[in-house]
Amino acid sequence: MADFSFDRHAFWAGFRDIVPLAVPGIPFGFVLGVVIAESGLDRFVAWLSSPLVLAGASQLAAIELLAESAGAAVVLVTVAFINSRHLMYSAVLRPTFSNFPNWFKIIGPYLLIDQAFALAITQPDDTDDRARMWHFLGSGALVWLVWMVSTGMGVVVGDITKPEWQLGFAVPLLFGGLMIISITNRAGIVAAVVGAVVAVLGADLPQGSGVLLAIVLGVVAGGFADTRLGATPEATP
Amino acid sequence: MSLFLTILSAGVITYVTRASLIIAGDRVTLPGQVERALKYVAPAAFAAIAAPALLGGDQFAAFGDDMPRIIAVLLAGVVIARTRSVPLSLFAGMSALWLILWVS
Repeated sequence: MADFSFDRHAFWAGFRDIVPLAVPGIPFGFVLGVVIAESGLDRFVAWLSSPLVLAGASQLAAIELLAESAGAAVVLVTVAFINSRHLMYSAVLRPTFSNFPNWFKIIGPYLLIDQAFALAITQPDDTDDRARMWHFLGSGALVWLVWMVSTGMGVVVGDITKPEWQLGFAVPLLFGGLMIISITNRAGIVAAVVGAVVAVLGADLPQGSGVLLAIVLGVVAGGFADTRLGATPEATP
Repeated sequence: MSLFLTILSAGVITYVTRASLIIAGDRVTLPGQVERALKYVAPAAFAAIAAPALLGGDQFAAFGDDMPRIIAVLLAGVVIARTRSVPLSLFAGMSALWLILWVS
């Protein structure tokens, strides 16, 4: 059995290395907190989505849907869809994690957030397993802390913000921005256009199911376009 | 379902998505078609959430009322396309919105 005892150096290196990736999450977390405070939902329970779900875009979508009293099924399926990209992360990191101890395979995936993934796949190839594991845990720990504090701050400060500041408008701005970043080829444009058009047309469908329909049709259209247009060169982030 | 149960379930679903392949090890593989389709979840999902919210519910309201928002969105779009920075685009979009609302 290989040695996986605590590697302080690697842990703190991970903690530091992810700071530049974690800082942009602060305003995002803050906006999420404000949205929670203004949603009319029990704010502590809604904030619990930070430690329990730990995935900003899906938390924001879930809070928005819950505030519009969408059904639990629609909320859960939407969360599953938005977070399905994590399935890809876990597929990519599986070979890297395969020799790690079992306790890590239980805890590690909880911290498999976008930033931690991005950092993990860019570690030098010659990093040994023990250092790699503790580096990942260190980076995950920092992103976790930043997320808890920034969303919590937003919830607390949300009280003193006023509706006429239109802070809620930051939500579509955020998702619009994430959409632009996530488009890496022409098939991605097809997926986004179909998703947007169907969501607008289906805005009045019961329990927010229009969003769900839009995601499904957008993904199908994207997959179809991917096959038809062939593999266009992708920009790697 | 209560709010807490819904959020807890959302957490369990998210965890399973992240953990399943890592815990399953080499016993499970994804079909290529599924893997290819997964690439398009992000653009489709983010567009589906952003589009109705940008139109603010009152989709066909007087064009003039929507002008500050449209300008803010376009500016934020240009900023993010150039810088790939979410906070920068957020800052640009919200500042533009506040400036226009304050001036008018």
